Amino acid sequence: MTGPAPGGARLVHDGARLIDAARGRTLAGAELRAALGAVADAYAGLPMGVVFARVGITLDSALRYLGAVEAGRPVALLDPALRTATLADLVERYAPAAVVGLAEGGAGADPGELPKGYRRVELPALGPAWVHETAPDHAPHPDLAVLLATSGSTGSPRLVRLSRTAVLDNARAIAAALDIDAAEVAPTSLPLFYSYGMSVLNSHVHAGATVVIVDGGVLAREFWQAVDRYGGTSLAGVPYNYEMLARIRWSPAKHPSLRTLTQAGGRLRPELIERYHELVTAAGGRLFVMWGTTEAAPRMTTLPAERLPEKLGSVGPALPGGRLSVLPGDGVETRVPHVTGEIVYRGPNVMLGYAESAADLSRGDDQGGVLHTGDLGYLDEDGYAWITGRLKRIGKVFGIRVNLDDIERIARDTGLVSGPLAATPAGERVVVWCEGAAPENLAGLVAAQLRVHRSAVETRAIEALPLLPSGKVDYRALEASAA
Amino acid sequence: MSVNDRLRRVFVETLELGEDVHVEELKYRDLEAWDSLGHMSLVAAIEDEFGVQLDTEQVIDMSSFKVAVDMLRGLGVSD
Repeated sequence: MTGPAPGGARLVHDGARLIDAARGRTLAGAELRAALGAVADAYAGLPMGVVFARVGITLDSALRYLGAVEAGRPVALLDPALRTATLADLVERYAPAAVVGLAEGGAGADPGELPKGYRRVELPALGPAWVHETAPDHAPHPDLAVLLATSGSTGSPRLVRLSRTAVLDNARAIAAALDIDAAEVAPTSLPLFYSYGMSVLNSHVHAGATVVIVDGGVLAREFWQAVDRYGGTSLAGVPYNYEMLARIRWSPAKHPSLRTLTQAGGRLRPELIERYHELVTAAGGRLFVMWGTTEAAPRMTTLPAERLPEKLGSVGPALPGGRLSVLPGDGVETRVPHVTGEIVYRGPNVMLGYAESAADLSRGDDQGGVLHTGDLGYLDEDGYAWITGRLKRIGKVFGIRVNLDDIERIARDTGLVSGPLAATPAGERVVVWCEGAAPENLAGLVAAQLRVHRSAVETRAIEALPLLPSGKVDYRALEASAA
Repeated sequence: MSVNDRLRRVFVETLELGEDVHVEELKYRDLEAWDSLGHMSLVAAIEDEFGVQLDTEQVIDMSSFKVAVDMLRGLGVSD
């Protein structure tokens, strides 16, 4: 049997319930505790080190994740649809003790070949896994609890290191900001390997609430059937989800149990924020606009629903325990209202740091609770944050600094490209990526506009631009593939 | 052309399906191409091809090729 993990409090409250919608099965109380204990015992039999978990939207995935956190076993949550070459590279670089969840994932998901140094075993409570034949060289840092992938500049995803304190504290702060209590029922509208999806699970199980595990997303019939059947009380969505729901003229009024909508993962058009605020308010509910990043486990701010109309466009004040400030161009951090600069967040939920290698997993706190978010904006008189954009993405062409967003605009203004495009730096040059085909004379035209030599701009065709789970272009992955 | 054939063409063109795909047997999320983005593209293409407008429930219920055929017939589209 397993007691509470080292480091104190549990993530999963004794009142928490997990419902597997596909099988109509509810796990709660002693039964849930036993299931988590069985998972923890299985982890205890593995070599020391972090576990990689391929997580689909399944009850088994949730148990493998929550069981790892409860057992104090650091766990990386990975997209089961990762390309096999990417997963193989991650395994080689981070040398996890095991890769679990091999059977997870829907269409196109395949873990690939058994990596060197691993054997494939069928583990009790965990299922098929690749287990490292020897203990790894580097013991993970004792504070390390969860690893999430984000794009790095070295050619493959890097991992964000989150401490147990960060994960638990953020779960608690979110529950406080959104009034999540034991009566709440959250369906899994987002992937669990995505920080927002993970935080919905964390904040609900920590508050002793219910999570309905249902795959398919907001366009699937099974999803809404599960919401109605189990009385789902909240819906979490990124801008892309709300855009789709608007397109199909969806309204929360059709699902009477639904009382809370949350939105994060990027900027939603103010018209849509207003529309959903009005729709859900008319149905007796609330819409919360939030701001976060994987590096903050992930939530940083929440806009109180009752202040949404007067603060439309703001992402709200810092969560309980967090603090916001602004770093303007002069380099002097401030909380003076209406000064624009990079928004800096401080709080117990800030990551320990990144990991680019197995050795980095032993590192402690590199951040000291401070996160430079890369988002530009300002604070108002009430300390509410208003995000106005990203820090300029700068590239260099033969030593001259250029704004990559400007290059994208120039490329689009040529009229040669009808599909999506993106510009990334590549050493002393710039690469313009075009979905489908790259027009032959595009590079020449862009270079002419920039008044640089033709060879400073390269154009490349790409089948599809890589996207983050929020639907935004994954520039770091693109940049890496240019190397 | 029958509703079936027209819809098959919409599916093949919109989702860029290969010849080996059994379109008639296809269900939502069976293929990477028929994800949420593919679904929204399909809805738009079906609305264009058949001159119909699908409501929320129809978009969410359209979980397979077969369901889509029945739905179109239900909307009065005939061969």
